[in-house]
Amino acid sequence: MNDDTPELPNTTRRRALMLGAVGAAAVVSIRPALASTAASISTCEIPVPDSGRAGSYIAADGTVVPAGTRGAFAPPGRPFKGEEVKTALAGGQLPGTNYEQSRAYTNYIRRLQSGTSGFTCFASLQMPRG
Amino acid sequence: MNDSRGDIVYRMARPETLKIVHLDSFTAVFHRASGITHLVTSPVPEILAALGEAGMTRADLMARLSVDYVLGDAEEGSLDARLEELVATGLVAVA
Repeated sequence: MNDDTPELPNTTRRRALMLGAVGAAAVVSIRPALASTAASISTCEIPVPDSGRAGSYIAADGTVVPAGTRGAFAPPGRPFKGEEVKTALAGGQLPGTNYEQSRAYTNYIRRLQSGTSGFTCFASLQMPRG
Repeated sequence: MNDSRGDIVYRMARPETLKIVHLDSFTAVFHRASGITHLVTSPVPEILAALGEAGMTRADLMARLSVDYVLGDAEEGSLDARLEELVATGLVAVA
């Protein structure tokens, strides 16, 4: 099926594992070339949903569904700024939304793929700082 | 530490958004959602495997890792540091 899943630990013989020091990093991120475009995190925008699907509703899991779908949320009236999304991804809430709306919109943004409007902005939010 | 983290459920990013390649001493994780490749070392692959898509709280994760591995340093601060790194990269989501 999916050979991308992480290897399952060997439960018959327990390996030693170190969680590592608090200050040490276990992740090194390789920035793609688009990082050099230096899109400003504070001013770039992410439309929800993208313009090709404007007017569609956003389900709780972030999928785009037909307008009026029960349990889904109407799109926000304006695109979100990168800085607002960054705050929301860190556990905050998008402005002008309630908790459920914010979670649905944030889930939509997490699902953004290359080529979708707002993806470059989302990708730059993922860049490690510094 | 801050006990308000106790209720947070951590889960691995959806498998279809990740391409994971095990190298000799590193594991390369390509995160399709952000287009960024992360080179990770132990204990990150082990944490991702333990969390899975279902996700679990920090306490459950520590318990799970303690069952699967002989932890040399079962400290909450260390686990928090790893989880914070993973959340920052988008490889782990919180709910």
